[in-house]
Amino acid sequence: MAGRRTGRSRAALALAAPLGLVLGLALILAACGAPDGAGTGAAVLRVNGSTTVNPVVSRAAELLRAERGLEITVDTQGGSSGGLAALGEGRVEVAMSSRPVNQHDHDAYPEVDFRPVQIGVDAVALVVSRDVWEGGVHALTRDQMQAIYESRVSNWSELGGPHVPIAFFNKEPGRGTWEVFAKWLYGDPDEAPLVSHLEVGSNEEGRTKVASTPGAVTQLSFAWADGETVFPLAVDSAEGEVVPPTPETVAAGRYPISRQLLVVTDGEPTGTAAELIDYLVGPEGQKLVEEAGYLSLGEADGAMETAGGAVGEEAPAS
Amino acid sequence: MSLPAAAARPAWLFAGRRRLDPIRVASLAACALAAAFLAGLVGLLAVQSLPAWRHEGVAGFLAGGRWFFRARTFGALPMIYGTVAVSAVALVLAVPVGLGAALFASEVLPPRARLALKTVIELLAGVPSVVYGLLGVLLLRDWMYRLLSPFDPLSGDTLLTAGVLLAVMILPTVTTFSEDALRGVAGAQRRAARGLGLTRGTTALRVVLPQALPGLAAAALLALGRALGETIAVFLVIGRRDNQLPESWLSAEPLIKTTQAGQTLTTKLGGSETFLAWGDPLHWAAIAGLGLVLLALVGAVTLVGALLVRKGAGHAARS
Repeated sequence: MAGRRTGRSRAALALAAPLGLVLGLALILAACGAPDGAGTGAAVLRVNGSTTVNPVVSRAAELLRAERGLEITVDTQGGSSGGLAALGEGRVEVAMSSRPVNQHDHDAYPEVDFRPVQIGVDAVALVVSRDVWEGGVHALTRDQMQAIYESRVSNWSELGGPHVPIAFFNKEPGRGTWEVFAKWLYGDPDEAPLVSHLEVGSNEEGRTKVASTPGAVTQLSFAWADGETVFPLAVDSAEGEVVPPTPETVAAGRYPISRQLLVVTDGEPTGTAAELIDYLVGPEGQKLVEEAGYLSLGEADGAMETAGGAVGEEAPAS
Repeated sequence: MSLPAAAARPAWLFAGRRRLDPIRVASLAACALAAAFLAGLVGLLAVQSLPAWRHEGVAGFLAGGRWFFRARTFGALPMIYGTVAVSAVALVLAVPVGLGAALFASEVLPPRARLALKTVIELLAGVPSVVYGLLGVLLLRDWMYRLLSPFDPLSGDTLLTAGVLLAVMILPTVTTFSEDALRGVAGAQRRAARGLGLTRGTTALRVVLPQALPGLAAAALLALGRALGETIAVFLVIGRRDNQLPESWLSAEPLIKTTQAGQTLTTKLGGSETFLAWGDPLHWAAIAGLGLVLLALVGAVTLVGALLVRKGAGHAARS
């Protein structure tokens, strides 16, 4: 009997040892995988979302860490929709978004009380590569852009430019830039025709690929349209008014493709989140918005109407 | 009393007649855990992808050529084609080079130089894929754009670019496993061949190579497994263009199409659509379905590779 009992306890030990090991490893991995995790005790604020909003929030996080010792991690997984999804799932406390919170978000996360706060205004520029710009294409009409989007034209010569094929890099779905662009082009992103183009994700990727591809065009946040590697086109309105994307035209509400830059929380922001958001809408934060090339809230009064009604909320699609 | 009891309990867990062997029990537990993870993963993907299989039908999902999530149309074939095309390009380029390097290392180099070479190659295998991706964006895109100009690609982002990049990435894997397979052939065989008056080259090609064949095939398949699953590097240079299918399979079209942009299973899963899909059961099911297809592809390749390794080992042991 005694011998058998030892056998059993040994077996129990043998079973427990690897399980303990695995559990221990899992705990360590969990701790490493989420250095910003809530479980670590330190109040680390996690932010995720739009690469357009990111430069401002990242800079603010850096300054707040230096000045007030706040721990804020900023990530850009999946763009605006990725950020809102992460907020919906509780993986982050603050989402950055360059598109309004829409009905799809509310449907996906009915429990979540999305509270958008506007921190600035951005415009979406249509940028082209050097050869197109120097070939004489400096503006596009909405109809011309639709023709490009629907692949009804395939060469810049059809639009008065050089004889180069049009390489259209479309922003991938879920990006705030694409949503705003599609809204301008078709009235409602859901109405945009089904097409398959080359795709780009972040602003960096879009700029790099357009700069290095002849005949390239893409939608890019106007703060990234440097005029040296990629060149922003003016929008030629039906009335014959040619409006380039500049801070002045965006602020005056004349440039048609603009949008609100948002940070979003679940319910009323508290603690570090509230501190970050107060900083962003305050004078220091607004200076960072301007430094990143966007319009601050004060500058952009005229742009509010184009960017759409209530802050950060979109009427449900009919 | 003891006889039926002994029959009921698995004898292989016991060290003596009565004592459980802790090492055997522990390793059983570890095995069970690993198997449970795999089964759980497959089960989870299968269950979550169910709505997509119902919506499209199994054939419709696997052979459908259109993927438009806003139109609720989910066909995975363009991505399966992209995955197969990119992996095939990678294998066609990497296997001859890797095999050549392995032959040189195994049959020609003196032992010390061989070890040095092998160390360097294995270091190369450990370079993170995002580094290869950056090199691809910086150099390969432009080169391929110029090289492919007769085919009028829209940009340097093509299936071929991704395949060439993958070939570079899997080359160390092919080389080091091929070399192992060649070294696995007994030295006595080589000496016998040389004793019969065969040259070193003939010995390598006619004696060593045929015997190492299962191991060499396994090397290629294990490398293929890596190629199928690679995401980041491919993501940056493939163009991520949806719904690109050759018009006809029985022509040069599937080859010519590799000079254009495309999409693989992994680049689709790595894109932002995965974030959009969450919360929409059908769309999410379609994404999970892509994951399941990818898992099945990699699993099948790995399984065949592992079987070949075993066969190769058996072969080497017999000779």
